[in-house]
Amino acid sequence: MTRISGGLIDRSRTLSFTFEGKRYEGHPGDTLASALMANGVRLVGRSFKYHRPRGIFAAGSEEPNALVTLRSGARAEPNTRATTIELYDGLEAVSQNRWPSLAFDALGVNDLASPFFAAGFYYKTFMWPKAFWEKLYEPLIRRAAGLGALGGEPDPDAYDKGFLHCDLLIIGGGATGLAAALTAGRAGASVILADEDMRLGGRLLMESHALNDAPAVDWVQGIEAELESLPNVRILRRTTIFGSFDHGIFGALERVGDHLLRPETVRQTLWRITAKRSILAAGATERHIPFASNDRPGILLGGALRAYVNRWGVTPQAKDSDRIAIFTDNDDGHRTAIDLVAKGIPVLAVIDAREDAQRLGEYQLYKGATVTGTQGRLGLSSIDITQNGLTRTLECAVLGVSGGWNPNLHLASHHRGRPVWSQAHSAFLPPEDLPQGMAVAGAAAGHGSTHAALRSGAQIAAQLSECKPAELPLAEDAPHRQTPLWHVPGKTRAWVDFQNDVTVKDIALAHRENMRPVEHLKRWTTLGMATDQGKTANVTALAVMAELTGKTIAQTGTTIFRPPYTPVALGALGGGDSGVHFRPTRLTPTHPFAVQRGAPFVEVGQWLRAQYFPLKGETHWRESVDREVLAVRSGVGLCDVTTLGKIDVQGTDAGDFLNRIYCNAMASLKVGKVRYGLMLREDGFAYDDGTCARLGEQHYVVTTTTANAGLVYRQMEFARQCLWPDLDVQLISTTDAWAQIAVAGPKSRELLSRVVEADLSNEAFPFMACAETRVCGLRARLFRISFSGELAYEIAVPTRYGNALMARLMEVGADLGVTPYGTEALGVLRIEKGHATGAELNGQASAQMLGMGRMVSTKKDSIGAVMSRREGLMADTRRLVGLMPQDPQARILAGGHLFAPEAERKTETDLGWVTSACWSPHLNSYIALGFLTDGEARLGETVIVANPLEGDEAPCKIVSPHFIDPEGGRLRD
Amino acid sequence: MTDLTPLCALGAPEPRRTARGALSLTENPDLALASLALRAGGAQPAPFGLTLPGPGAFNASGEVLALWTGPGQWMLAAERSPDADFAAELRAQAPGCSITEQTGGWCCVEIASATGAAPLDRLLEKLVNLPPAALCPGRAARTGLHHLSVFVIRRSTDRLAVLGMSSAAGSLWHALDAAALRLESFA
Repeated sequence: MTRISGGLIDRSRTLSFTFEGKRYEGHPGDTLASALMANGVRLVGRSFKYHRPRGIFAAGSEEPNALVTLRSGARAEPNTRATTIELYDGLEAVSQNRWPSLAFDALGVNDLASPFFAAGFYYKTFMWPKAFWEKLYEPLIRRAAGLGALGGEPDPDAYDKGFLHCDLLIIGGGATGLAAALTAGRAGASVILADEDMRLGGRLLMESHALNDAPAVDWVQGIEAELESLPNVRILRRTTIFGSFDHGIFGALERVGDHLLRPETVRQTLWRITAKRSILAAGATERHIPFASNDRPGILLGGALRAYVNRWGVTPQAKDSDRIAIFTDNDDGHRTAIDLVAKGIPVLAVIDAREDAQRLGEYQLYKGATVTGTQGRLGLSSIDITQNGLTRTLECAVLGVSGGWNPNLHLASHHRGRPVWSQAHSAFLPPEDLPQGMAVAGAAAGHGSTHAALRSGAQIAAQLSECKPAELPLAEDAPHRQTPLWHVPGKTRAWVDFQNDVTVKDIALAHRENMRPVEHLKRWTTLGMATDQGKTANVTALAVMAELTGKTIAQTGTTIFRPPYTPVALGALGGGDSGVHFRPTRLTPTHPFAVQRGAPFVEVGQWLRAQYFPLKGETHWRESVDREVLAVRSGVGLCDVTTLGKIDVQGTDAGDFLNRIYCNAMASLKVGKVRYGLMLREDGFAYDDGTCARLGEQHYVVTTTTANAGLVYRQMEFARQCLWPDLDVQLISTTDAWAQIAVAGPKSRELLSRVVEADLSNEAFPFMACAETRVCGLRARLFRISFSGELAYEIAVPTRYGNALMARLMEVGADLGVTPYGTEALGVLRIEKGHATGAELNGQASAQMLGMGRMVSTKKDSIGAVMSRREGLMADTRRLVGLMPQDPQARILAGGHLFAPEAERKTETDLGWVTSACWSPHLNSYIALGFLTDGEARLGETVIVANPLEGDEAPCKIVSPHFIDPEGGRLRD
Repeated sequence: MTDLTPLCALGAPEPRRTARGALSLTENPDLALASLALRAGGAQPAPFGLTLPGPGAFNASGEVLALWTGPGQWMLAAERSPDADFAAELRAQAPGCSITEQTGGWCCVEIASATGAAPLDRLLEKLVNLPPAALCPGRAARTGLHHLSVFVIRRSTDRLAVLGMSSAAGSLWHALDAAALRLESFA
């Protein structure tokens, strides 16, 4: 037990938790790391590659070693840093990457085989024979690699997302952030102050020095209370700003319920913060110094050691008498020793690599000395100190390592700004080309003393908010004194990146193998590619590379920083909506009717459409579809076609506008008439088709395909606003405002005449007529158009009455055998008729290919008309044809390719493809539509439909695409 | 007068309603809608005596409300029975304008707070990417919500209306209800 006095934990309450199934106790305010430390647990995990025993190394989100799987079952969360997990009652955690146990890990044998696992191991070993990759190498690597694993069950927790806006976003709630928030907050700016920790204060919580001669925590609490009272300041605790994106947008993850046994509402919230200005006050992360065997449990960062002592009242000793040593190259390391001595903890010595180091407290100092080795199987027991060529081994259970501080400038570089090396700081400082609106303050900008950090935060906030800086407390202002030591040379492995097991030797090997640019170094060695993104490793590694190449660190440069700063759960990135709610679903007005009749539904874009309406006794979908198709051909059928896009076009220039949108003429359409229309893309290919109805002199309604409804509307709006703003035309979508039902079949007129209050005779309401009318006493629109090839109408009523109208039509048409039909029958009917749809209008088809070349009017200009006449398109001889297999039962699938019977089946002899295929109950045969080279000239010939993937082939007769009523007599009946 | 029975946008004869803490969500089926667009060079009318509002705003007078939806474009809403031809009514009020029937096209969800503005403000920041000032009482916006294009009308400090396309009424309701549910501990 190594709890000591002090700290910011609530000792009046006890929390119970388990690690590796063993029960322990901690206090509110503890992290899992501090609580484990307090219970004498030093061995926490195993390393990624060599399965080396590892302990707690840091005290914050930079932790590379102490990764655990938190919680269990569906809530199991692998690779969670023990240093950032707030302790709660009932917490369960287990270690990872070990078998059968943490203390005895069979794969520890990897450590003995380490010469084989050097840098570039994967690239060198698994490249050949090629055939081995999929079946042997990859499964092998996947089994051996990785740390924790997911539970494999769906995540039971809720996540949500939100949007925040502010004048100033302050990233980091330490001394700098608090001074900045106070300044801007008092000035009235809308401020968001975000910090990843459970409480504000940053390093102020972890240091022993005073502010205004009082504990720093007192000042923090005072400021916090004032900020809480300001309505214009919002404090986001437990919130990591993980990315800086374009236009002042930041990604933030708020851990709303991670500190609870079960979240009360949501587990995490993903915030998108839009900030006019931002201050990066993210502080700094301490570096370590690589030396031989520097990865044993008990070795940790000096600043982290100080944090555990001061904030959590705990040390990593196994027993009170265990001695602690400090290895440093700068004055900050001495500060740890001073704090330890003040707490009465036995300090072995400070080992300072600098010849001119000064003793700053009551402890033994080894000047110009280094640590050159360590001992201890599952935890540190002794260290080798080398001074003046002499090495001595001293018993020591804990070693704090201080190699200087790296500013946390990640977010400042998310827009590719390159950090700038500062010799004076022995560190990279933020780039000059910062994300727009961002300023960097405090330790993140190299202002590391408390005084400098406070001043920097207040001054920058004052500048941005155009006000005076807040009054600041008196604080320490110790100068930065360091002679950087990037690694201790030696023959034994010295770890640089703990999580990915990258050593100085690996970097040297990468250098020998000419992987010298930092981007190559990173990928060759996997440096910085673990879940910690090399926060404690990267700068050290490139300094080692610089030393090897003889270049300066500035010349060596850094890799690119990318979001996220720390890992973000995919559940949070998903924003909380999963499964059926992942995206919106649109339902047709007759959806309740279809549900009641047991229709299965098919997704068409966002829409759910009834696929078919099974009757009792029907055992196969095609039984239902065949029945529906035949019912339409012989009687009357009903289909909800609301999903087709409907665009209302009005204005004195509406006709002229539509003339330019459609390749065929629309201005000449008479009022009360409908015309089929084809739209082209700018490049001349067919874009979309549908009908255009003229309801009034200056009023048209355009219909589009279901799939393209939004796109066509967007394109028309673009044309209206940007291409021809001089035209008087107004557009608005009315797709959802009208329920539209197709009434198709030879008995459709008879059925409709029972509900429509108008003369439907052929004379009064001929083919392609339209009218505003009344149905069942309700305003309605009637169109005499046909997709099925039969006498047919489409009737539209206000959406809310669609379901009732469907039921009414079923009721009054019972004696006519009225039959509802779904998208499957709709498809069969239109293939039989040879009508194109999305399968044909796939972006590769021209009007000519569709047999509509002559529709492209030469008497007017329209979008795509000129390009449709270009040579390459005109020369294309592929035409839409019908295909009938010689064996009617030979099933043809869309996607099959067309070949001459004698030709070899290869790309060069490919004559086209099948776009749509179905069983035609009317013809008692499979039929298909397809694009065929010289299609028109080949009518009557035989072509092979081949499916080379499955080895299927079917000889087919080439016929007209109009299998039914090619003259169109039925439509006009 | 029709003898067909209308359904509400959420698919039932009766409007859906639910309570989540301080918030209540109610489907409003008695809202007739029609869009109004000015013809080129046309003067701005004052239908039902309403001054048509500018961007980000709405004006209400009695049972009619006008909402800015784009340059020279507005949506007008009125309390009417489901089969009322509001577009025809509006056409008479705004001659020379392009009027389009929109009643069945939209699902309107009214959200009320029993404890003032705060729960609505908290809800809005979970729903739409707009600064709070854009949706303070008296303001309205056309914006995105759960991948849907919606109109948000802040009727008052404690009342809010969200209009989304009627075919996606179920998804809109889910988005609003889920966000309200997740806030419940706040209320």
